[in-house]
Amino acid sequence: MGALQIDNFIHTSILIFAVGALVALALGKRDRLCNLVSNSICIAAGLLLMVASAMKLLSGSDLIQIELFQSSLPFLTLEMKIDNLSALFLMILSVLTICVSIYSMGYISHYYGKRHVGLFNFLYITFILSMIFVFTSSNAVFFYMAWEAMSLLSYFLVIFESERMENQRAGTLYIVMTHIATAFLLIGFMIIYSYTKSFDLFGSSDAIPDTAKNIIFILFLLGFSTKAGAIPVHIWLPYAHPAAPSNVSALMSGIMIKTAIYGLIRFVLGFLGVQHTWWGALLIGVGIVSAVLGVAYALMEHDIKRLLAYSSVENIGIILIGLGVSFTALAQGNEMIGALALIASILHAVNHTFFKGGLFLGAGSVHYATGTKDIEKLGGLIKVMPVTAVLVLCFSLAISAIVPFNGFISEWLTYQSIFAYIAPGQAGTNILFILAVAALGLAGALAAACFVKLFGISFLGLPRSEKISNVQEVPVTMNIGMGILAFLCLLMGVFPLFIIRLIDGVASDLIGNSILGQLQGGFLLTWYSMDLSGTVISPFEILIALGVLTLLALLAIRVFGGEYMERKYGTWDCGFEGINSRTQYTAAGFSKPIKIVFRILFRPSRKTEAIGGTYYYPDRIEYKVESESIFEKYVYLPAFSRIRTFSRRTKFLVQTGNIQNYLVYIFITILALMAYNRFV
Amino acid sequence: MSYIIYIIIQIFVMVLTAPLVNGIIKKAKAFSQKRTGPPVFQMYYDLYKLIQKGTVVSDVSSWIYKAAPYVVFSTALAAALLVPVSTLVTPTNSIPGDFILMVSVFALGRFFMMAAGLDTGSTFGGMGSSREAMISSLAEPSILVCLFTAGLIAGSTSLDGMMTFMQGTGTSPTHPVVVLLFLALLSIIMMETARIPVDDPSTHLELTMVHEAMLLEYSGRHLALMEYGAAIKQLVFMTLLVNLLIPHDQLIGFAGVGAVVVSLLIYLLKVILLAVLIALVEINTVKLRLFSIPNLAALSFILSFLAFLQYFLMGGGNV
Amino acid sequence: MSSLFDTLSVIILLTSFVLVANKRIKSYIKTFRVQSAFIALAAGIMGIQSIMEEGRIDVLVVCFVIVVLKVIYIPKLLSRTYSGVEYKVEKDFILNIPILVLICCGLVVFTYFSIATIDGISQGYNDIQIVNSVSVVVIGLFFMISRKKAIGQIIGFLVLENGIFITAMFATDGMPFIVDMGIFIDMLTAVMIMGIMVYQISDKFDTINIDKLNKLKG
Repeated sequence: MGALQIDNFIHTSILIFAVGALVALALGKRDRLCNLVSNSICIAAGLLLMVASAMKLLSGSDLIQIELFQSSLPFLTLEMKIDNLSALFLMILSVLTICVSIYSMGYISHYYGKRHVGLFNFLYITFILSMIFVFTSSNAVFFYMAWEAMSLLSYFLVIFESERMENQRAGTLYIVMTHIATAFLLIGFMIIYSYTKSFDLFGSSDAIPDTAKNIIFILFLLGFSTKAGAIPVHIWLPYAHPAAPSNVSALMSGIMIKTAIYGLIRFVLGFLGVQHTWWGALLIGVGIVSAVLGVAYALMEHDIKRLLAYSSVENIGIILIGLGVSFTALAQGNEMIGALALIASILHAVNHTFFKGGLFLGAGSVHYATGTKDIEKLGGLIKVMPVTAVLVLCFSLAISAIVPFNGFISEWLTYQSIFAYIAPGQAGTNILFILAVAALGLAGALAAACFVKLFGISFLGLPRSEKISNVQEVPVTMNIGMGILAFLCLLMGVFPLFIIRLIDGVASDLIGNSILGQLQGGFLLTWYSMDLSGTVISPFEILIALGVLTLLALLAIRVFGGEYMERKYGTWDCGFEGINSRTQYTAAGFSKPIKIVFRILFRPSRKTEAIGGTYYYPDRIEYKVESESIFEKYVYLPAFSRIRTFSRRTKFLVQTGNIQNYLVYIFITILALMAYNRFV
Repeated sequence: MSYIIYIIIQIFVMVLTAPLVNGIIKKAKAFSQKRTGPPVFQMYYDLYKLIQKGTVVSDVSSWIYKAAPYVVFSTALAAALLVPVSTLVTPTNSIPGDFILMVSVFALGRFFMMAAGLDTGSTFGGMGSSREAMISSLAEPSILVCLFTAGLIAGSTSLDGMMTFMQGTGTSPTHPVVVLLFLALLSIIMMETARIPVDDPSTHLELTMVHEAMLLEYSGRHLALMEYGAAIKQLVFMTLLVNLLIPHDQLIGFAGVGAVVVSLLIYLLKVILLAVLIALVEINTVKLRLFSIPNLAALSFILSFLAFLQYFLMGGGNV
Repeated sequence: MSSLFDTLSVIILLTSFVLVANKRIKSYIKTFRVQSAFIALAAGIMGIQSIMEEGRIDVLVVCFVIVVLKVIYIPKLLSRTYSGVEYKVEKDFILNIPILVLICCGLVVFTYFSIATIDGISQGYNDIQIVNSVSVVVIGLFFMISRKKAIGQIIGFLVLENGIFITAMFATDGMPFIVDMGIFIDMLTAVMIMGIMVYQISDKFDTINIDKLNKLKG
């Protein structure tokens, strides 16, 4: 499979996507046909893309170049260059696209007759296309154009259900934050251009002096972490992801925030070259804060999609921790650990795409079936939606880093990379690393608690409101889409090596070091540590062990205890005979102990109101707990109000409405330019 | 072949010894209160009786309620396979897991236990699950930092490797890092296995229950499996402590089957002594208020962190 | 033998952490007593060592003085004073306990970073001991800051003095005898005066909560 064939496949798939977009628009009014056709086109193109990128990663051939558009305008060359890093991200994009498209065939049916399905599919396909271009652009101009297109198209998708006020506000916040991020990126690109005189991303950065590199790093960090959703620039995430339709949220949280990770790796690692330890240390610091705070905020939410959005913040934190370890190691010249940490970080990004995409699709299924996204109104869904429940359980286990799913493998690799790097002598970074270990542990345990809450309160127990008493299982295509992702999560957890082999190609491309030699075997995952015998883990054997032990337990019980006798009765109710859905635990109650423990983060305020009746025997009591968001209240709102008062004041100074004033401005500007010409 | 022998010995020893620990602790507590107390083998009789009884299953619950006891039991036993009771019987190619895997396997059991608490739609189950969520998240950083430090000293994250290393260095038990790790692991055992001062294992008041509340709906063989799983988990943590910090295998001069028997007997003795120590701690402290548990968790984290500091910042001296 | 002193220094540091994590006055006094007992143990071992090697008995005398003063007399004096003072059940510390404990942890790290560059220390075998002992000093001072009742300040001062003493012990194998005795007499006088003053304050103002004392300004 030579480079030419891969080239053709990718070209074809882009063409198919473009055709699909136009077809979607053309078929506009015929909802069902449009839905089916455009999603099938997406699946076909996605399959092609996946095959092409997998072939690229496996064959290890060098750079693939595809020219889209050559023009005589300087720098306006739309050229795609695909190396291993781009190929990997293309591959996960395509897998997620296939699954989300299968899912959409069933999901979009709730838009039939209510909205313009053709417009939705057009935006959807062009959004995917823009992300393909972000991952493969070869010069900064093309990257910027694709980045802007991606932001704009996702904005339209976020406000697709635009009649609700909160969606509009969410969209505005999102577009403002993402443009501020893009502004930082633009400044970074300009500084690079001023030194190297070229926009080529694959060129060399030797012409840039050291201080400029530091400044560029800070700019890129600010820009990309806003897109990724790291704290403290994450505030758009909890608004934008719930507002978008669920399949779009799956794409946004699954792959759009990974474009930021791609950007960080491509620009900082690939282009600038990591030279300072503090770059990595800063990344680890941001990662620690994001991981702990993200999951702490997730625990307090009772809207499913806001919970999942905050959980994405946590996982970005984990990815940044891995990336930070990699940068620190590379800055000190330790290429092996740098490669290992990079692989751990990218593997977590891949895993997150799959299980977070699946979780958002599950939230969409719940919303489709019950009409509500509020966990406090759900309950007992496992009896009416059994397949969805099992799939959401798989994804919850995967995101809590529990054996035998894929989340465990990436967290294990992150721990091992930190373990390999701590060595006596470098005191400062050692403390940071052990704090990273503690933060990872805390975030992992809190994430497990959060997803027990999500799964337990939504699916188990008794229904908590009458709205959901006639719920049916969702259409089959939605379950198939999620099922493929769940199967991949399990597969990658039990046999991790085949995905690590692909990611290893990325590391060897960028760093020149491949650690595959130390990871052996099909089932076993071995990392030889510094002094002692190797550390072996085998998720496959643990899975077999669990199965065998369960069978042994069943056998032993049968031998000692005789046949299984079961009697069904109501839940034990202390003799009151009053168990109904109101006496169960609520989501707010479940997370209350943790809220009280971490009350410094949440500053909860509560309000109890007795309604009706007398003071001692009210008819109803309403209890409301609110936690305030520190970042909005203390950072963003003061900043925005200050900007607003400043602009209002200068507005009155500058726009006086007097024509002569404006003419004076023009006159002074022309004189100043002429003076500049003379004196400089 | 040595692999199969290792697995058989591990399962055998762990399954047979786990209920004994509970019996010893209860006997020691009774002794301190000038009572006779239940016989030491009482838990075996209890488990046997429970297995033979029928179960009452709530009609609100789903398959998760019935699957959880099996998951809890098999994860506890699977984690037990990763912590060798005696390094003389470990197979030549190492056991397939390290302490991160062990923590994750326990997390699987805990996830299902918390979900099962929510499954029955009763208030007690939800209460137990939410309290367990809080306590386990506070205990986790402490476990990881503590085991990480021990792993860094030994140069490997595999428990087998760590135990072998600690035998080889001839550290005296009064070395500061060993003392700190011992205290840290002791406090972790308190938190993870629901002992006083974190949770009273013999309480009947719902106000004070954490672990018991999640088991409240279970009966018959399901209850037996859950209790057995909890006992095995406790034994795994105790094995971790005694075999890692007070290694004994280097004192056995000879080899062969006799050496294995001697090693297992000494291991049993260490476990019994640690059980008495745990009973002493239970006797002399009271169950903490739920929101004072973060204080204990902070202290436990400090112990682990100080162990790390002492070892690494002081130049990684000789342990 | 130096490993034994390492362990003792770690245990003394641990008792100061336990002190910060405590919430009640009786526990403060009890923990202080335990800490002084361990310090006396360390001084005693050092004293026996110095008798066997050099024949000086001054370190052993210092150990004896510590036992009499800090383990027996001062805790008894303090508990007697405080049983006579009106005890209101109110929150004695700022913020909450886990954060205070974590701040103390940060203080230990900070102490390490500040001491690590002093010549002759980073290579010596008594590195752990010095850092732990100076940390006890800093934690004692932090304890004084974090408590609102006057007893907190007294105990904090005593822990501070403990820390200075044990630093000197570990660093120099025992200070000159006169200096030790002088410090002890100073400390004893200070504690007696503070005990009397606390009693008077409580009598006059009905509270020993120093938050309320700022009503005295102006």
